[in-house]
Amino acid sequence: MILLFETPAGFALFKVLDEGKLANVEDLGKEFSSPDSARKMVKLKAFDRFDNTSEALEAVAKLLEGTPSKGLRKFLKANCEGEALAVADSKLGNVIKEKLKIDCIHNNAVMELLRGVRSQFTELISGLGDQDLTPMSLGLSHSLARYKLKFSSDKVDTMIIQAIGLLDDLDKELNTYAMRVREWYGWHFPELAKIISDNILYAKSVKLMGDRINAAKLDFSEILGEEVEAGLKEAAVISMGTEVNELDLLHIRELCDQVLSLAEYRAQLYDYLKSRMNTIAPNLTALVGELVGARLISHGGSLLNLAKQPGSTIQILGAEKALFRALKTKHATPKYGLIYHASVVGQAAPKHKGKISRSLAAKAALAIRYDALGDDQDNTMGLENRTKLEVRLRNLEGKDLGRLSASAKGKAKIEVYDKDKKPGSGGLITPAKTYNTAADSLLGQTSAKSESEEPSKKKDKKKKKKVEEEESEKEEPSKKKKKKKKKKVEEEESEKEEQSKKKKKTKKTEAVEVAKEEKKNKKKRKHEEEEETETPAKKKDKKKKIKN
Amino acid sequence: MRPPLTGSGGYGGRGGGGFSGGRGGGGFSGGRGSSGGRGRGRGGDRGGGRVGRGGPRGRGRGPPGGGRGGMKGGSKVIVEPHRHGGVFIAKGKEDALVTKNLVPGEAVYNEKRISVQNEDGTKVEYRVWNPFRSKLAAAILGGVDNIWIKPGAKVLYLGAASGTTVSHVSDLVGPEGCVYAVEFSHRSGRDLVNMAKKRTNVIPIIEDARHPAKYRMLVGMVDVIFSDVAQPDQARILALNASYFLKTGGHFVISIKANCIDSTVAAEVVFQSEVKKLQLEQFRPAEQVTLEPFERDHACVVGGYRMPKKQKAATAA
Repeated sequence: MILLFETPAGFALFKVLDEGKLANVEDLGKEFSSPDSARKMVKLKAFDRFDNTSEALEAVAKLLEGTPSKGLRKFLKANCEGEALAVADSKLGNVIKEKLKIDCIHNNAVMELLRGVRSQFTELISGLGDQDLTPMSLGLSHSLARYKLKFSSDKVDTMIIQAIGLLDDLDKELNTYAMRVREWYGWHFPELAKIISDNILYAKSVKLMGDRINAAKLDFSEILGEEVEAGLKEAAVISMGTEVNELDLLHIRELCDQVLSLAEYRAQLYDYLKSRMNTIAPNLTALVGELVGARLISHGGSLLNLAKQPGSTIQILGAEKALFRALKTKHATPKYGLIYHASVVGQAAPKHKGKISRSLAAKAALAIRYDALGDDQDNTMGLENRTKLEVRLRNLEGKDLGRLSASAKGKAKIEVYDKDKKPGSGGLITPAKTYNTAADSLLGQTSAKSESEEPSKKKDKKKKKKVEEEESEKEEPSKKKKKKKKKKVEEEESEKEEQSKKKKKTKKTEAVEVAKEEKKNKKKRKHEEEEETETPAKKKDKKKKIKN
Repeated sequence: MRPPLTGSGGYGGRGGGGFSGGRGGGGFSGGRGSSGGRGRGRGGDRGGGRVGRGGPRGRGRGPPGGGRGGMKGGSKVIVEPHRHGGVFIAKGKEDALVTKNLVPGEAVYNEKRISVQNEDGTKVEYRVWNPFRSKLAAAILGGVDNIWIKPGAKVLYLGAASGTTVSHVSDLVGPEGCVYAVEFSHRSGRDLVNMAKKRTNVIPIIEDARHPAKYRMLVGMVDVIFSDVAQPDQARILALNASYFLKTGGHFVISIKANCIDSTVAAEVVFQSEVKKLQLEQFRPAEQVTLEPFERDHACVVGGYRMPKKQKAATAA
């Protein structure tokens, strides 16, 4: 067997002298504890030195992709006739096997062997001391790092990330400047702020008008509507603002110029971002819009990074703080992050926002993967999914309407009693509802039950047992809430009664009551057990919530 | 300026203790009182295992340290060697951890520099090492027994970021040593490469530390791996790199950020589970220090790799 060992100075081939020792992987390290013993284990067969740094860079860059460079192929052909080759990278091994018809081995023993050779290789390769090697590896690593940074794969994404960052900064800046204009000019003409609410129009009018005395003579028809213009002119005459001199107005006007030019630049930048997003991630853009799409990319770091995230992560991207706070305190995790600003989520009623954002995130994840890794570059897939989501939204709202008209509105809701809930406290203070796994098991319950329920009728007891047996048979994970469980008991009960067709309503209600009572009792008794099982149960619950 | 008092190095086997004691009199702002107290407390703990070391010595050294601190005036600074090789303490108005600058006249990240004149008139420049910015410095101030990174050592540094700590490690190992700095992010990698241009003992590698095979041709066998990757699978990453590059009987220093591994459980539990994971990977963790008050919920674990069984007693003693 021959071992291929890559060094910054070149490729080395070692002949493995004692292949029998490879079987014992653990003790292989000992063979390399000293140079002499290492020489007994392997012997240098050939060494292919790189001629210059550019050759080294080329060879190593090829190696990183998992393909042998030309020099390496020649070298292997010349030295590896008819013997197996041990390599450090299985991918490289496959390529060599395919191209050069040399059998390649890659396993734990090879890795251990390479480890040993690495520890002794200045001794094993004559004429290659430590002092020679360091400059070589230094030069190679620097050129490799430069090469990597130069041909960065996510170059285009960076443009989007920077553009969206600048857009946000511009918006912030624009707002502060516009507010400053309003504040400043407000001393002279305070009424104008009420009359023109739009920042840009305000700046334009101020720039045109200057002193408010000029308002009557000027024509604002290019900037403002007729009514607004009339209002402005009227207010300018009776304004209660202070007088300002020309010098002050000059500076105010300059500030207006700043606002206007910034606004213009922002519009340009937005167009640029739009076109970029439409070429890089057309489907994502179709689904969530340019701005949200760009923010998602910038949050993920690059489109490719984002493509590796699951839908659930995309759903809460941007809400990390809330997520980790919720995870720590075992509360409900957030339903949406950046995706909240997508128009589909915006259309939904508050009640359905969570659901829609979940569906949207799932579709967005698909769209991102399609954009990042797919071949064709049109947005049909995104548009299709968007219509699907809109249909789903309509469906949800339709259902809601139906339920509203059909349900018994007037009846008061009976809340389930929850001993953990403190009266008067907000929803946040209660702990998360958990699925009580202790309630599933039957072991050790019957005996405890008999104590407290002896006074109750025997018939009931029998029935109860049956109910419980059925319950335990149907140990479904979906029964996480007690409410549901109760319903199930009710249903089962009613089924049974239909079968028997003997006693009707009275009996049924009785059974339900008993079931409730029993649950309370169980809760008390099982309190200690519950505490023990609480943590896994909560985890389960949490997982479910994240999926939502 | 006064010459560095190298003589006290031998006696100050517990330099760290004296250091933290001295710091109480005017050290780093922000939690300095508590850190001083902690330092002594930890010394005491260790003293339980090792008779005659730690607490008592540290406190014994307190008064002279304080006295020297009182002698300070203006910009006069005395630089003393720390008990870890290559690390120094600058005692002036404020005590600070420093390393000897490998490239005099240059600051890497706008840190403060201290120039000290030797007895023979030559000037030596030191760079201040901020424990709030570097977990290794925080670990040293936390009183870690041995960082294993010493002059002449070869170090594989995983998670090099912009190279601030790497520059100090490069100072520490000196021209004889070598630091292989691995960083995946291109943005920070740019700064790292720029830093490495001026320091010839730093070899920058822009690769994912999860795939050591990608830099197998660049890195030789190393004595120490320092890992600061803050990833959920960092124990695995360390093990993978160790299997490639860490010599038998070499050492590792790993900084663990509890929140990056599991934010839902207590930090202590996370540290324990990480130590367990390391033990399964042929590591032998020897020591764990928290990085309070410099970092929250961080710990630094130090230990050996594939340690020979016979020396177990020797290392434990």
